[in-house]
Amino acid sequence: MSKKLSNSVPTDREVVLGILNDSEDALNRLYIGHFPMVLQLVLNNNGDEDDAKDVYQEAIIILYNKIKGGDFELSSKLKTYIYSVCRRIWLKKLSQQSKKTNNISDFEDVVAVEVDVEQHEEKELQFEKMGAALLNLGEPCKTIIQDFYINNLSMQDICEKFGYTNTDNVKTQKYKCLQRLKKLFFQL
Amino acid sequence: MRKDIELEGIIEDYLQGRLGAAEAEAFEKLRTQDPAVDHKVVAHQFFLDSLTQYGANASLKHMMDHAHEQIDVDTLVDELKPHPSYIVNLWRNNKSAVAVAASFILLTMFVVYSHFGKTQDGINDLMLMRREVAIIKNSQNKLVRKFNSTSTLPRGPVIAAKFGGTGFALTSNGYLCTSYHVVKDADSIYVQNTKGEAFKVKVAFSDPQYDIAILKIIDNNFSSLSNIQYTLKKYDTGMGEDVFTIGFPKDDPVFGEGYVSSKSGHDGDTTQYQVSIPINPGNSGGPVLDTHGNLIGVITGKEHQSDGATFAVKAKYIREALNSIPQDSLGKKVVVAKKNILQGLKRTKQINKIQDYVYMIKVYN
Repeated sequence: MSKKLSNSVPTDREVVLGILNDSEDALNRLYIGHFPMVLQLVLNNNGDEDDAKDVYQEAIIILYNKIKGGDFELSSKLKTYIYSVCRRIWLKKLSQQSKKTNNISDFEDVVAVEVDVEQHEEKELQFEKMGAALLNLGEPCKTIIQDFYINNLSMQDICEKFGYTNTDNVKTQKYKCLQRLKKLFFQL
Repeated sequence: MRKDIELEGIIEDYLQGRLGAAEAEAFEKLRTQDPAVDHKVVAHQFFLDSLTQYGANASLKHMMDHAHEQIDVDTLVDELKPHPSYIVNLWRNNKSAVAVAASFILLTMFVVYSHFGKTQDGINDLMLMRREVAIIKNSQNKLVRKFNSTSTLPRGPVIAAKFGGTGFALTSNGYLCTSYHVVKDADSIYVQNTKGEAFKVKVAFSDPQYDIAILKIIDNNFSSLSNIQYTLKKYDTGMGEDVFTIGFPKDDPVFGEGYVSSKSGHDGDTTQYQVSIPINPGNSGGPVLDTHGNLIGVITGKEHQSDGATFAVKAKYIREALNSIPQDSLGKKVVVAKKNILQGLKRTKQINKIQDYVYMIKVYN
């Protein structure tokens, strides 16, 4: 019943294959294609466009990780799945803000996604912890850790980037940084 | 310290599968023997997983932010935000329900109409009648007869008259009374009496408000009439009074009889009577007389659609019209007979005497 706003929405198959192959284009098109639907949902239920963005991005992350995790079975249309996830997340946020949550105006069919959302919430908590820990770590540790573990740069690259005399120094530095990060992470 | 760094290096290599087969075997052996090492491996693995997942998550968010920038959010917000009007929102959210309800109502109406068509017809008739009343209000039929066939005249113009009506003498010297709407917009007017003699007349006075016109015969062939047989009635006539008229809906005079049915005329007009005399186009301007030979009014029109509702301007306004004619323009003084010689006569005799004073008005324009 919602307005059909985008005609370049990729097919579900394209999206799944695209995400499995790390295609940024597929993600782009998926994102742009379904955003209006979620925007409509949130706007019509006591939210604004920023709320919509947050909710939608969380939903996409859930979908993305689900597809990446390999246990994704296409039991419904992706659109329905995204909508259901967003609806679930938004309902939770509304109840947290103790806003009116009954009579949510629906625009799409809904499938059960509670488990996925809860799993995601646990992970999200960890991510937040990690983000905070990294933030508290300070430079240059933060960049060294990110470069080595997230951006997968080699010891040699980091050595050159930071002007260390040899890779052993980098290793030592990285070890110290990691120890501190671990400490920060588990403390939080 | 150095040992720890080396151990971590080995653990990382082990976790990422970079150790050789022999080294890996040796390390696994160490893990099983030394719980502290094993714990370190598990903890490190968990932590690294978290870290990489965090990284993946961050890069995904970055990509999504990039995608988000391509969306024209403001336009979409305008398009999708809840409409200020409650009705529109209701419509947006319940389109399907409304559509179903509407189809159901349509179907029901269709069924009802097809089943009870006859009953509905009756009601429709009633409605129609009502509507007609509204029309009747504004449609007073002016009874000017149209001449559609050529009629030969003994004298006067040979071309056919456009309109016709009835008029009657007020004075013996040639003043006639008729309806204003009969002679309205006339180029030239002739009157023709029951003997077939036609005379040219001019309009001496016209009163559109009361629909009365006074004509004066200006034809040289006209000789004065004998005294007028009827009198103008001074007072209003009551309901139920028998009245009659003589008019020219055709080329010969036609008698029509009825009674005063109301003391007010069209739409409550108190300057008129309502009389129940069947009249036709051409009767306009005809005299309405009571059984005593008193002139009580001038036929002016009838209502569409309703039977027996004919209207006649009250005689009082004929008198007023006569009084308002400037006396010096009249030449001869207009005299209205005071004595009524028709009283007590039989209807046929009355008519015989009256019909000489009734004229057919022929209007050319």
